Amino acid sequence: MDNLDIPQTSASPAIFADGTAGTVTMKGDSYPENSFELFQPLIDWVTAFLKAGQRPLKLELELLYLNTSSIRALMDILDLMEDAHRKGLQVAARWAYEAANERVGQLAEEFKEDCTFPFDIVPKA
Amino acid sequence: MSDTPDLEARIEAALRGEAPDVGELLPLLQALFDRYRTQQRLLDRLTHISDQFQRAERDRGDSYAENYQRKVRQIEKIVRISDQYQVMLRELNERLHTISIQDELTGLPNRRFMQERLTQEIALVTRTSGRFCIALADIDRFKAINDTHGHAVGDAALAAVADILRANLREYDVCARWGGEEFLMLFPGCNVDDAAPLVERIRQGIGEARLSEAGLEDVSITISLGYTEFQLGESLDATLRRADDGLYRAKAEGRNRAIRA
Repeated sequence: MDNLDIPQTSASPAIFADGTAGTVTMKGDSYPENSFELFQPLIDWVTAFLKAGQRPLKLELELLYLNTSSIRALMDILDLMEDAHRKGLQVAARWAYEAANERVGQLAEEFKEDCTFPFDIVPKA
Repeated sequence: MSDTPDLEARIEAALRGEAPDVGELLPLLQALFDRYRTQQRLLDRLTHISDQFQRAERDRGDSYAENYQRKVRQIEKIVRISDQYQVMLRELNERLHTISIQDELTGLPNRRFMQERLTQEIALVTRTSGRFCIALADIDRFKAINDTHGHAVGDAALAAVADILRANLREYDVCARWGGEEFLMLFPGCNVDDAAPLVERIRQGIGEARLSEAGLEDVSITISLGYTEFQLGESLDATLRRADDGLYRAKAEGRNRAIRA
């Protein structure tokens, strides 16, 4: 499966989906003008990867600020992973945040709430 | 079904008493019973199909409702998370605002804030023919404190002086860290005679204060001050320059004193 590499901008996070490693990383702030345009390729990629169902998928997040439509896109991705998990696929998420910014950790907990797959929230010193 | 009219005609004839004998009634009854059973099966099937349609419709309605509920929950969650991000941004904004107007070391307003505050005060007294005074204070021989005891002690001395200044001001006075070891105070509604005892109290407060809490037992700290009243029509720079002249004279005359300018 092809990799997906979307470079970071001042308003959108670095997104890298590695088809071989089975990882998706998202890093930075996310308040793009057109979140559909930004996230649809990623949602398509995740959908295709999970549909192939050959390898585990790991989502690595280091997100700071998300606007409302980015929140929605991320929830859609987590829903896709949840569905895959219920079908027996191995999926996991890890959200790393600066320990000093406790609020980001609390927000990660909100996202985790409805996920039954492994979801680690890790403060960085 | 094709035998229906015939069967009905035969039954009607029998009911009218036209049937010849009992032997002929039996096949008629058999035919009628077959008919009844066929109709019954048909009715059962119809009822069953109708029930199925009804159930499918109900399920469809339920799944709409369920889907709707799920969407509502999702939207509620998005809104909740979004609100939290907004709170996070507002707090960040407040912190940046504080940083932009506050001196980190002493916690006093910084030069930027004071400049803005003085501009407002000038506008106010110009409009109301009011008055205000300013005092420029400078820690005496601060460089020597730094050189002798190190920068950490120098910083502690700055913070200690700031605390004493703050404690000696009236509620509506303002004191800012103006530069390295310089502090600028604003006394609203004061003429220079009113300001004199205030300034003197502050100078003595510094001289008498024990700085042991800040680990400065063996550090003697005094300040020199120049103070002046704003003259209607003059620029802020002119007022500041006059206060600075007073400070310069206080230093020249032996420090640890306040000079009116």
